Amino acid sequence: MLQRIASGDPAAVRECIDQYGPLVWSIARRLSRTPSDAEDATQEIFLDIWRSAGRFDASQGSDKVFIAMIARRRLIDRLRKTSAEPPMDPVESLESVAWADPGTSSETSIEADQAARALAELRPEHRQVLELGLLHGLSQSEIAARLSMPLGTVKSFMRRGLIRVREFMNVDAKRVLSEG
Amino acid sequence: MSDTRPQGQPDEAMVDLLIKQVTEGLSPAEQRALDVLDTELASAYRRDLERAAAAVTLAGSAGQPPPPSDLAERLAKQAADHFAANAARTLAPEKASVPARTRNSFGAYGGWLAAAACLVLAIFAWERSPPAIAPPAVAPIAVVTPPPAPVVAPEKPLPTPAEERAALLAKSDSLKISLGATKDPAAAGVTGDVVWDPATQRGFLHFTGLAANDPAVHQYQIWIFDAGRDKRYPVDGGVFDVPANAGDVVIPIRAALMVRKPAAFAVTVEKPGGAVVSGREHVVALGAIT
Repeated sequence: MLQRIASGDPAAVRECIDQYGPLVWSIARRLSRTPSDAEDATQEIFLDIWRSAGRFDASQGSDKVFIAMIARRRLIDRLRKTSAEPPMDPVESLESVAWADPGTSSETSIEADQAARALAELRPEHRQVLELGLLHGLSQSEIAARLSMPLGTVKSFMRRGLIRVREFMNVDAKRVLSEG
Repeated sequence: MSDTRPQGQPDEAMVDLLIKQVTEGLSPAEQRALDVLDTELASAYRRDLERAAAAVTLAGSAGQPPPPSDLAERLAKQAADHFAANAARTLAPEKASVPARTRNSFGAYGGWLAAAACLVLAIFAWERSPPAIAPPAVAPIAVVTPPPAPVVAPEKPLPTPAEERAALLAKSDSLKISLGATKDPAAAGVTGDVVWDPATQRGFLHFTGLAANDPAVHQYQIWIFDAGRDKRYPVDGGVFDVPANAGDVVIPIRAALMVRKPAAFAVTVEKPGGAVVSGREHVVALGAIT
């Protein structure tokens, strides 16, 4: 689809909005300060997707991961620019996260399934730090304040959790290659 | 998936910076520290961490509702405009207009009213501190916008920026804003206006009498004050140059960010390449929507 978008195929563009609109919108809502920010961000993310579609390399991952990476980059950039502002919602009102069930999320993407399996192996406090940082867009300092945890501990948990997911994905990719 | 990644592991300090970069972004000081450390190894590690962060995001984003229908419609319209503009650019000759180049990022936002007020203050301050820029052309008679050059489909030449501006002016929902010159020497005798279409986020700056600039020393930059975005910083509308003896000039405005409620437009003098956040020391034209 992304290759068709790069060549300007209008049907692929429509398909992309239909298929990935919910994903981008859900990420944008979580990582934006206000609903109107989320709408602006969603538009900017899709513009980034149109501009970047030609650089998609299927050998490096799925289109969903490519789009999620683009969305995260844009949203982190926006969050940094508004970091002096308080979040719209108090942290207590953060939406709860429905994690994909390992082994059942292949319809989402291989990488999501790999991540879900890696997360299932993590200690709960590591998983919680990843959730607050990656899904709710809290900074490490904000996580430390919310969990009454030293900043160094938050950094350590974030590092261990993300590296574990990375290792799991790389090992899994090599296993798939060797089996394939 | 071929594995051509560099061997070895980055040290802990680099890993911490890379993780912070892909989870919340870096401060300028941290970015400089990473730039010093950055290597092929760090780049490969960053890609892996970004993939991991994206995968975790996907794992936690199952079963989400679609975007609001009006947002989906805007996305479709924005996509159509983007690819139509791309197609036009593909067909356009290299020097069909005086291009305005945009920057990718912008600083935090504050109240646009305050920013506009600062801009007015800057105008007065600037009267006592004129910028180092070439004086205005004595007899500006040349038209910067060249005639349409040969195109791929010769029977239907692409519109010039002036023609595109005229078409935009004819639209009932486009906005036209008169620009007022400051007392800066570079702006002496400047008259101009902006036409802006909120629906397509396209617009044109049109003026006569603005001094020629040396792009190696200074460039002009367009700013859009957005009441919808509010707060302190305007949206970058692109940088441009004015050649010597320029006459009637039309510059496409390329907003770096979505402009929800345009409130004012300004032109400043900035360093080559433009500024992410203007110091607003050198304002040459300003117009507000009333």
